Amino acid sequence: MTVADVAVPLVRRRPPARVRRKRLLVAVANHSMLIAASVAFLAPFVFIALTALMTNDQALSANLWPHPFAWHNFVDVFTKAPLWRWTLNTFEYALLATLGVVVSSVPVAYALARLRWRGRNLAFIIVLVALMLPPQVTVVPLYVAWAKFHPFGFNFIGTLWPVIIPNWFGDAFSIFLLRQFFLTIPEEYMDAARVDGCGEFRILLTVVARLAKPAIAAVALFSFLYTFNDFFLPLLYSGESPHHWVLSIGLSEFRSLHQVQWNLTMAATLLVMAPVIVLFFLAQRAFVEGVTLTGVKG
Amino acid sequence: MSPWLVGFSVFFGYPLVMSAYLSLNHYDLLSSPRWVGLANYRYLFSVDPQTWTAVKNTLWLIGVLVPLQVLSAFGLALMLARARTGVGIFRTIFYLPALAPPVAATLGFVFILNPATGPVNTILGHLGISGPLWFQDPSWAKPSLVMLGIWGVGNTMIIFLAAVLDVPRTLYESAQLDGAGPLQRLRYVTVPSISPVLLFAAVLGVIQGLQYFTQAYVAAGVASGQASQAADVTSVSLGYPVDSTLFYPVLLYQHGFVDFQMGYASAMAMFLFAVSFVVTLAIVINSRRWVHSGAR
Amino acid sequence: MKRVATAATLIALMLAAVGTASGAGTHRSAGATKLTVWVGWSARELSAFRKLAAEYQKANPGVTLNVVGSINDDKIVAAIRAGTAPDVVSSFNSYNVGVYCGTGGWIDLSSLMKASGISTSMFPATTNYYTQYGGKKCALPLLADAYGLYYNKALFKKAGIAGPPKTIAELTADAKKLTIRNPDGSLKQVGLDPFIGFYENVPERWILPWGGTYTDSKNHAHLATDSAWSKWLTWQKQMIDWYGYKNLVKFQAGLGDEFSASNAFEVGKVAMNLDGEWRVAFIKAEHPTLDYGTAPMPAADPSLYGSGYINGTIIGIPKNGKHTQQAWDFVKWVTTNTHALAEFSNAIKNVPSTVASTHSKELVPDAHFATFLKIFANPKSGTSPIEASGVSYTNAVQNFATKWQAGSIKNLASGLSSLDKQLDAQVKQAKGGGVP
Repeated sequence: MTVADVAVPLVRRRPPARVRRKRLLVAVANHSMLIAASVAFLAPFVFIALTALMTNDQALSANLWPHPFAWHNFVDVFTKAPLWRWTLNTFEYALLATLGVVVSSVPVAYALARLRWRGRNLAFIIVLVALMLPPQVTVVPLYVAWAKFHPFGFNFIGTLWPVIIPNWFGDAFSIFLLRQFFLTIPEEYMDAARVDGCGEFRILLTVVARLAKPAIAAVALFSFLYTFNDFFLPLLYSGESPHHWVLSIGLSEFRSLHQVQWNLTMAATLLVMAPVIVLFFLAQRAFVEGVTLTGVKG
Repeated sequence: MSPWLVGFSVFFGYPLVMSAYLSLNHYDLLSSPRWVGLANYRYLFSVDPQTWTAVKNTLWLIGVLVPLQVLSAFGLALMLARARTGVGIFRTIFYLPALAPPVAATLGFVFILNPATGPVNTILGHLGISGPLWFQDPSWAKPSLVMLGIWGVGNTMIIFLAAVLDVPRTLYESAQLDGAGPLQRLRYVTVPSISPVLLFAAVLGVIQGLQYFTQAYVAAGVASGQASQAADVTSVSLGYPVDSTLFYPVLLYQHGFVDFQMGYASAMAMFLFAVSFVVTLAIVINSRRWVHSGAR
Repeated sequence: MKRVATAATLIALMLAAVGTASGAGTHRSAGATKLTVWVGWSARELSAFRKLAAEYQKANPGVTLNVVGSINDDKIVAAIRAGTAPDVVSSFNSYNVGVYCGTGGWIDLSSLMKASGISTSMFPATTNYYTQYGGKKCALPLLADAYGLYYNKALFKKAGIAGPPKTIAELTADAKKLTIRNPDGSLKQVGLDPFIGFYENVPERWILPWGGTYTDSKNHAHLATDSAWSKWLTWQKQMIDWYGYKNLVKFQAGLGDEFSASNAFEVGKVAMNLDGEWRVAFIKAEHPTLDYGTAPMPAADPSLYGSGYINGTIIGIPKNGKHTQQAWDFVKWVTTNTHALAEFSNAIKNVPSTVASTHSKELVPDAHFATFLKIFANPKSGTSPIEASGVSYTNAVQNFATKWQAGSIKNLASGLSSLDKQLDAQVKQAKGGGVP
């Protein structure tokens, strides 16, 4: 008798009917809850969309269904308010800020993760503290400083530059995330590059950056998302000069600009949500990976 | 490193020092700062009738919104982990609201929850329920903001989902062998395994609660506009209705950037910093515990 | 990845260049002074002001005026603080005159006025009060506002009421008679909405028919001891409780915007309303067939009947401006030129703000509007207090009133005392003195 004769391939036995029924019930219950939750989560979008398609009078009444469908609202929105200008401003801010964050955070995170130097741990703790500090704490003196700073007569208040520039000096959250990720890159890769005679900076650019692509992509994505949706800082600095408004501010002011046309406001709301949602669908995997990275590595 | 050191000292260190200095002055940007010593702090703690309202509101928010957000994210993640079919669709549906810009989401919610003409109260009316005044009622304004917060819980949910899916099957199986029912498995296997993530979500929630501004600002402005539609005095809308949405960062904004009492706002900021610092310290001390336990 | 990054940088830099370029680049003709003028008006009223500006430019070819509308006090204060204020600035109300004059944000016009031969006697007394503070005259009135009662004659006829109420008792009775409720208890039509925060309802406008004042001879707040305040607040809460607080809030949430064609009074949802004289022009433009009348607000004391709340648009020159003399020339013209004032008054139906222009033959007579001219001329009419804390003063009172009407304040007397202390502390802090 050999082992081969006795060994029987493992066959999954069908569980008894009672257990199968119980599992089916659980699955059905789970699914119904999921469906119920989905309805609750989707409902606001549906309501917003429906209102966006109503005429102004309908939007002000208790009607639930547009009658007729005012598709031209989505066009009217652009003529009633400088939506293009705001979109341009928002993209300008988001792109420049994201670029700044990536360019400045990567080297710092690398230095914190890999290089050995005195005060490294202290610097890391400072990064953590900066991460958890509410922006309202630093806002007043920074505003005052920007207000008093007039190089060549240029006024910073009323533009978006005070909001963009700090991003070029590193962002605590991104530094933190990247550092955690860099820690997981095996030392061998970098040692090999060092042996080849690469300086630290070259190592960073060629080896590490390529290996950390998902983390860098995640950082870029989150920076973009955050700055695209940012409201408080742009409100502070460009709130009084409509020419430099971003979409968030423009949307909040939309009502007062045109005497509360709720249907147009809802249409504008949808349009403001659109770019980010489109971006999500295009980069779905990067999004989910990135979010997971923050949580699990954090 | 050096550009970052420069940036850090400029954008973090300097404001902190300046803030402390300004908090001891009376400063309105037009004239130079005038030394008043601790007068701002005295005003903050004993005279300003809105200080404790703001503190209470922020504490309420942290005490109610954060647990609810964590619980709903966790609950949704559990349901998704258990589901067999259509997970991708459900996951997308739950994640989409988190992508919406806070301003847009708040605007949408205030409109939907309009007590007179909003769809929610209309539907409730058809069901025979007289809907509450939502953002127009001081007792319902904060709960409405909580609803808005739970709607956007997608980010946290994805993190929980990844963590829940990561729990080794073997742990569940051995627990089952020991005779543990589903609830016990949840309590003794799932929760401890994902405890670092739970803590992370809670911590993030508290930090966001201390900084909560945008939604409160927009909601108060829009809701008070619904009631008054008046073009005149715009600065009265913060905290609408009746200071129920007056959170600490909102009050700080009002004093600093509406009343332009920069010195006083700096005093408020210093207080907020002290609180955040204590919270941060508590986290950093505890993080040594959970960072190690989370390592695989 | 790198190529995408470079491309993105290039695009972003290009956008930035476009952004700043379009902001800075404007056509500058040789020798012409460009003045930026900020005003609060928008839409129809803004067009009327632009017409005025065009007239001025025609008469003064060396000056071009860039008029920006929809400005509110927050924007003005922020711009002055940040140093980005325009050449000429105007505000819809005088709430912040204490701040503007007190901090020097708007320059003192006294010397300019003297050099041009303009004296304060050219302006009505009340307008002089709300355009100066602390001995500095930092603003001039640019048309004024008077507030009175608008009432819907058609609804009055239906309810069988002969004429507008003159006393508080009549006002209460009429308001109740003109209120219609739906079968489920909610409000369909409201006789009078005294809700603070609704449309033009703010405490300083309502307290005048009760004869209330804010401060005593030492400029300390005395709302607790001036019985007019507790009388008004008690009456107001009784009215709101009669409607039902929640009913009223729900009703208001479904109303149209104040400055839209769906204004609640204009569409007949509210039968009586406290409003300013400009409403006459709005009704003419939006609902010309509305059968309505205007009258002074009912008063608690018969001797006060006929007076009302006055305020007005003010105009001034922010400090750190570059073209002070040209700015002053425009301000002088628009505030004292009788023809300009009469034309503008006709267009937006605001009260002319110089003694001369009130008698101008160019003014188009209007029966509805005449009520407000009378209210404006009434010696008992008053305005908001001008204090160093600016608009925070009246904001604090309004905050109190909204809490009171919501039922959050149990003891009115002690609440008013605390309010007095808070008001005094605010003024002291605004002057830089800290806590009393």
